[in-house]
Amino acid sequence: MATAPVAIAEWLGYATPPLWLEIVLDAVIAGVVVTIMLTTSALAGPWAKRKITAMFTDRIAINRNGPGGITTIAADAVRLMSKELIIPDGADRPAFDIAPAILPLSALLGFAVIPMGSGLQLADPEIGLVYVFAVSSIASVGMVVGGYASGSKYSLLGSMRSVAESIAYEIPLVVTAASIVLLAGTLRLSDIVAAQQGTLFTVAGVSIPAWYGFLNPFALALFLVTSLGEVGRNPFDIGEAGTELVGGYITEYSSIYFVLFFLGEFLHIFLSGAVITTLFLGGPAGPGPAWLGIVWFGVKIWAVFLFTQWCRAAIPRVRVDQMLEIGWKGLLVLSFANLVLTAIIVGVIHT
Amino acid sequence: MIGLLKSMATTMKHALDGKTFTVEYPEEAPEVSPRFRGIHKFSQERCIWCRQCEKVCPNDTIQIVTDDKRQGEQYNLHVAQCIYCRLCEEVCPVDAILLTENFEFTGDTKHDLVYNKEQLGNVPWYKDIDPLAAREPDRGAWVGEGDGEVDYQ
Amino acid sequence: MSQTEEPADGEAEPEESPARGVDYDAIEGLLGDAVVSRETHRNAEGFVVRADRVQDALSSLKEEAGFDHLSNVTAQEYADRFESIYHLKKYDDPTEEVSVVVPTPRDRPVSQSAEPVFRTADWHEREAYDLVGIEYDEHPDLRRILLPETWQGHPLGRDYNQDKPQIVTFEEHENPLADDHRDADTMLVNIGPHHPATHGVLHLKAVLDGETVADVESDIGYLHRCEEQMAQSGTYRHQIMPYPDRWDYGSAGILNEWAYARVAEDLNDIEVPEYAQVVRTMSAELCRIAAHLLALGTFCLDIYGDFTAIFMYAMRDREVVQNILEDLTGQRMMFNYLRLGGVVWDVPEPREEFFAQVREFLADLPNRIDEYHDLITENELFQLRTVDTGVLEPETAKEYGVTGPVARASGIDYDLRRDDPYGYYEHLDWDVITDDGKDNYSRLLVRMREVEQSARIIEQCVDLLEDWDEEEREIQANVPRTLNPEPDAEVYRAVEGAKGELGIYIRSDGTDTPARFKIRSPCFSNLQALPEMAEGEYVPDLIATLGSLDIILGEVDR
Repeated sequence: MATAPVAIAEWLGYATPPLWLEIVLDAVIAGVVVTIMLTTSALAGPWAKRKITAMFTDRIAINRNGPGGITTIAADAVRLMSKELIIPDGADRPAFDIAPAILPLSALLGFAVIPMGSGLQLADPEIGLVYVFAVSSIASVGMVVGGYASGSKYSLLGSMRSVAESIAYEIPLVVTAASIVLLAGTLRLSDIVAAQQGTLFTVAGVSIPAWYGFLNPFALALFLVTSLGEVGRNPFDIGEAGTELVGGYITEYSSIYFVLFFLGEFLHIFLSGAVITTLFLGGPAGPGPAWLGIVWFGVKIWAVFLFTQWCRAAIPRVRVDQMLEIGWKGLLVLSFANLVLTAIIVGVIHT
Repeated sequence: MIGLLKSMATTMKHALDGKTFTVEYPEEAPEVSPRFRGIHKFSQERCIWCRQCEKVCPNDTIQIVTDDKRQGEQYNLHVAQCIYCRLCEEVCPVDAILLTENFEFTGDTKHDLVYNKEQLGNVPWYKDIDPLAAREPDRGAWVGEGDGEVDYQ
Repeated sequence: MSQTEEPADGEAEPEESPARGVDYDAIEGLLGDAVVSRETHRNAEGFVVRADRVQDALSSLKEEAGFDHLSNVTAQEYADRFESIYHLKKYDDPTEEVSVVVPTPRDRPVSQSAEPVFRTADWHEREAYDLVGIEYDEHPDLRRILLPETWQGHPLGRDYNQDKPQIVTFEEHENPLADDHRDADTMLVNIGPHHPATHGVLHLKAVLDGETVADVESDIGYLHRCEEQMAQSGTYRHQIMPYPDRWDYGSAGILNEWAYARVAEDLNDIEVPEYAQVVRTMSAELCRIAAHLLALGTFCLDIYGDFTAIFMYAMRDREVVQNILEDLTGQRMMFNYLRLGGVVWDVPEPREEFFAQVREFLADLPNRIDEYHDLITENELFQLRTVDTGVLEPETAKEYGVTGPVARASGIDYDLRRDDPYGYYEHLDWDVITDDGKDNYSRLLVRMREVEQSARIIEQCVDLLEDWDEEEREIQANVPRTLNPEPDAEVYRAVEGAKGELGIYIRSDGTDTPARFKIRSPCFSNLQALPEMAEGEYVPDLIATLGSLDIILGEVDR
């Protein structure tokens, strides 16, 4: 992204732009690009979700507006935003109004440090991985605030479930990620991606890249399941639980607030896809020239999205107590086992 | 775990086989069985105003108005109130009221769905299926009409 | 056996004998001085019991004579009295029936409640109070059940003014949130009337302790459509038959129609030709498959939480059945196919094509069932969700008069198709499915296996119909155009509907319309047992249990 700011600075009249201007322009441009890209992705999410669900259920799916029904996305946006904004009588404002913004915000913040390939990375701090987990878990604040401020029992139950779920699944998630940190020896996300550049081994002329997903498939599986729980997708979507809690913390939200929640959820799925891609699937790595990186990155996070939809079609929702049991007694134990094992192996290799 | 994976494999199989069981209506009109009971068609020429249909109708959907010489003046049928039980057709001795296979009828208000005898006469056949032929092959003989086209206008 | 068709072996018992193996004189001795007199109903003897001795009479019938199934309670008003009729049966042998008739004077219609003896009488008596106006002493909770709390008058009573508008102000209605619940340890959650998992308009008042259900009470009546009264204003011959389709509207239409056909044919002594019985049996079992597939789909919808794969696959397979039924009956759900004395149409021409279509469906069915097993029952997470949840003990089930797949999943071997045979079932080779799991999982399993058994029945029917001599394909008996059964004949008959014992009580008054038409809905009794299954469970299990009961609110509220 180095050329565009320079061009703009020249247009503004600076022969050699001062450092502060370069930083500001850099941030603004990259921010705009990333946000637009992600929002488009999240908007395409519902469309893709319909198409994918239809495939699983032997139906035709939307196909009236535009090729493959793609312009339904625009129609959806207009429809959702032009709906009446209903605010319940007992809503606790302004908490009720703030909550919907928190979800997409936390996801977008998380994307700031993800190396998306083609030079797209807003920031590359040393503690990149910790930062991602830190900001993405702000989302649960949004759920609690929204659920509590709605003044509805369904919302309250849903938000309580979401919090319990976040806590139970955050720890195994972080612990599993820690095993990757042990392998890579760094928290910086670009370095983690760089560490996966080599070739693991070659079978019959096909070289398997040294992605951590291939190196430690068990950790990948663990991380996939745990992140399903973390973002509250089936079978762990108990925070929304349409057939039980009528939507949980989003029960009382309508119109643009609902859109924000909806957008936030999709962004979180994509964020968890991005983290999985970065940690396990070699980030933007792929065949072809380096500028194709963003494409490969997109393909990988959409693959993760597809996986969540696949789970949605085939796996029943677990009960709240069972979910906590799976989280605390199953995934947590497994993630620590994975961490210890990785630590031993890494230690042996190093000595 | 194996059962779980089996479930996932089964759904994936369905996703990849590309088959669908829904149809693109209205481009692809569904096959309707010859016995299907859709909207009514009425023939004023055949009707003898015996009022049997009005009497048998379980929920007063049919209204017949006759003059003092028992000549029919009006035949009104509320197609939105009808429960499509086909009893009117069953009791009609001259096949003056029929349930066609046509299920495509709309109205903006419920009052639009009160059909008078002209509207009932103008109901089109669905895909040119004449229900009389399809439903009870020997019924025509019983009515004593013989061959030939029946004019429902 | 007062079956309407001539059994193949020709051993028809006389129509008038309601005895069917019950020693009524011994029962009269057992009941002692509680009995005032005796009357004969078409299906069983009725003992007229004093209004203050109802519990004595019922408990001695239950404990000593073994009548452990209170199938139905009918209430009606005569010109000079009110009357409650308790229709008792045995779970072991439902052909052994007895009726307890409790008359009460019109000016003081109070009789003793049967609730302490049979738990199921709770809702039945509330309904009798609501619609007819009989009051029950010692009833724990005598409130209106179908109509709103504030309704004026009792609509099935004789002096009820139908034209008087019911004006109730909004403030007068019950508001469960009126009291301040903030200091309570528990939380009242209204599940419904509009909720994704209530399968219609049902209102569950659930008291939650955390996520656990401390108490749940069903509030029904949102879908009450006066089906009984509509039947009472329709003629026997034609006008009642279209309506049973609309009780259990989940594709079970022909099963419901058969309930009416059976009772009306008994009342009017109509013999159904054997060919028509086979056609009826085949079409009814097709309906059962469709209804069970719908039950499977919606139950999984409740558990999986989205309109995803299993629901749509179940719908797809049900679609095939519906296409067959459409070819046969002319409608996809509201069939109106049965007529008194037979069926309206023979199998559609060309017959070979129709039978090929049915056979194709049957041939494919095992694959479908395997697929469902792969998808649902073998899935460990699904088992985690359903096994040992919503447990219904057989004793409790009998207390509540639970029937159908729900009872059979609790190990109660009770199926009217076999135990109180009608139609052509007794000549066919099939099994009654039971399971001892007692939980949500077994209820699903029982339904899936019943689909297989229905397929067996259909296959045999198709074989029979294919080989039937062309000359003897009699689809309808010769039934007069107007039916006027003799006055004051009373009959209660039941068939095995998709959800359980679907019974109808008719009292005739000599005209061509019934004087009293009472529907015993299986869903009504099954739903009543919900608190027994759901209390102490988590909210998701309450939802799953409700789904596993497979209630159709149209049938609960009627």
